Amino acid sequence: MIVETKKILIDSKLECASGEALEGFELMTDFYGQLNDKKDNAVLVCHAFSGSHHAAGKRDNNIGWWDEFIGPDKTIDTNRFFVVSVNNLGSCFGSSGPLSKDKNGERFNNNFPQLEVIDWVESQKMLADKLGIKKWHLVVGGSLGGMQSLQWAVSYPKMVKKVGILAAAAKTSSQNIALNEVEREVIRKDSDFHDGKYLEFNKSPAKGLKAARMLGHITYLSAKNMDQRFGRKLQNTDSKIAEDVDFEIENYLQYKGGKFAESFDANSYILLTKVMDKFDIAHGYDDSLESALENITAEVLVVSFTSDWMFPTRNGKEICLASIKANKKCSYIELEGEHGHDSFLYPNEDYQNAIKNFIESK
Amino acid sequence: MKSNFKRIIEKWIPQNIKVLDLGCGDGDLLEHLKDSKNVNGFGIEIDISKANECLRRNIPVMQCDIDEGIKDFDDLDFDIAIMANSIQCLKNPNLALQNILNISNKCIVTLPNFAHWSCRLDLFLGKMPVTKNLPVPWYETKNIHLCTIKDFEELCNNLDLHVIEKLYLNNNFKESTLTKLLPNLFAAEGVYLIERK
Repeated sequence: MIVETKKILIDSKLECASGEALEGFELMTDFYGQLNDKKDNAVLVCHAFSGSHHAAGKRDNNIGWWDEFIGPDKTIDTNRFFVVSVNNLGSCFGSSGPLSKDKNGERFNNNFPQLEVIDWVESQKMLADKLGIKKWHLVVGGSLGGMQSLQWAVSYPKMVKKVGILAAAAKTSSQNIALNEVEREVIRKDSDFHDGKYLEFNKSPAKGLKAARMLGHITYLSAKNMDQRFGRKLQNTDSKIAEDVDFEIENYLQYKGGKFAESFDANSYILLTKVMDKFDIAHGYDDSLESALENITAEVLVVSFTSDWMFPTRNGKEICLASIKANKKCSYIELEGEHGHDSFLYPNEDYQNAIKNFIESK
Repeated sequence: MKSNFKRIIEKWIPQNIKVLDLGCGDGDLLEHLKDSKNVNGFGIEIDISKANECLRRNIPVMQCDIDEGIKDFDDLDFDIAIMANSIQCLKNPNLALQNILNISNKCIVTLPNFAHWSCRLDLFLGKMPVTKNLPVPWYETKNIHLCTIKDFEELCNNLDLHVIEKLYLNNNFKESTLTKLLPNLFAAEGVYLIERK
């Protein structure tokens, strides 16, 4: 499989939904496979909240977040399809975000424009124009990535042939926003946060970021999955991460949270959770989902997991029912998923067949 | 689905309409109707591998239980709903029928006739019927509300439904003199096109 990673400069102004603007920006992008001469085999893969452009293959000991799904003869067969995977604006894996510098050469820190999902779609549209891609064969993603896919189909109906919305919703719920706010508050209350200017003080609110991620991580798993994996097992004394850890689940969260805090930026965390909170596809359509979906011409596949309590199955069903009501071609697949919300990341025969059959159907 | 059975259903389907197939299986009926009648079809199927087959055929499908699924369907609007051999698998066939006719102008129902002579014979011999169109033994069957042609027509009457068309078919999905003469004894399948009065 041909793999390329490029930082692509988009040298035009991005007018954000908030009214702020970015004078040019960079998108860290992975490419898998080859764009054909007709340029009609391109697939845009949208990552979730804390994901990156690195969706497939092994790099620096890290495996891409959708490696089992992207590659030769895999769910998205790179012998046929050209996969584009973009690190979202505002994130911290190489695309423009709080860590990058503004036109005066100063680091944005907490002053990066507050983005919305629609801004990501605009930035990716500018990338598609640059690549000469007039229509995506498929735009697909899970969670916040699924929201981007949906936004693509609504914003640029002529540019999307098929859209895959996995473990996502047409809007975030009050509970989603509430949990995100607790996570943000934990970061803000870290004494090293310095109102988001921590890098100017050579500090990092790692403790807050770690705790925020620990809470976030719980929302990505299911109660059943946690019981099966950890139950009430006690942690071995010699492999304890912290003194007062008793149970394996505590140790696991401590480990995962700590690891995450080493590689993620706190300002990005706050910005991206806000992107999620603001998402409501029916906003601007009198809160009617059916009206919001009116413009879609793409074929739609929605997949939900019964073990997902972040975006429960009713969220997926709602998108499908509104699509059918709006006379769109939409399918809905409901799987148990063993991993709660995170199930969309894990290989499963029925799940992968659904996606593959959907992509490859005429 | 047998091809002559598909042809029978097809006759009652006008061109370019919106069809809901409840228990659509692998989507072959909807695919056939898309090709022959250019219908805008949508299927409901509980079995994931069959639903995945619908995706492969590019037939829109909602993978869910019919009983549960139609509860959420109250604002939808179809021209014809099809329940091909699925009504006897539902928890509340009578309520389902009414719900379906709330979201669809007409409904095609096909059902295995539990009073067919071969069923009667099995019961006479003291066994649960295992026949050509009821091939699964009692402990594995999904059929929880089997009925006879007489029963179904009585239900339609009680629910104030109008039977627009009906066909009594033998095991080869054909009408015969016998099925017309004594349907409840000789018809293996009843096929109905119904609407609200």
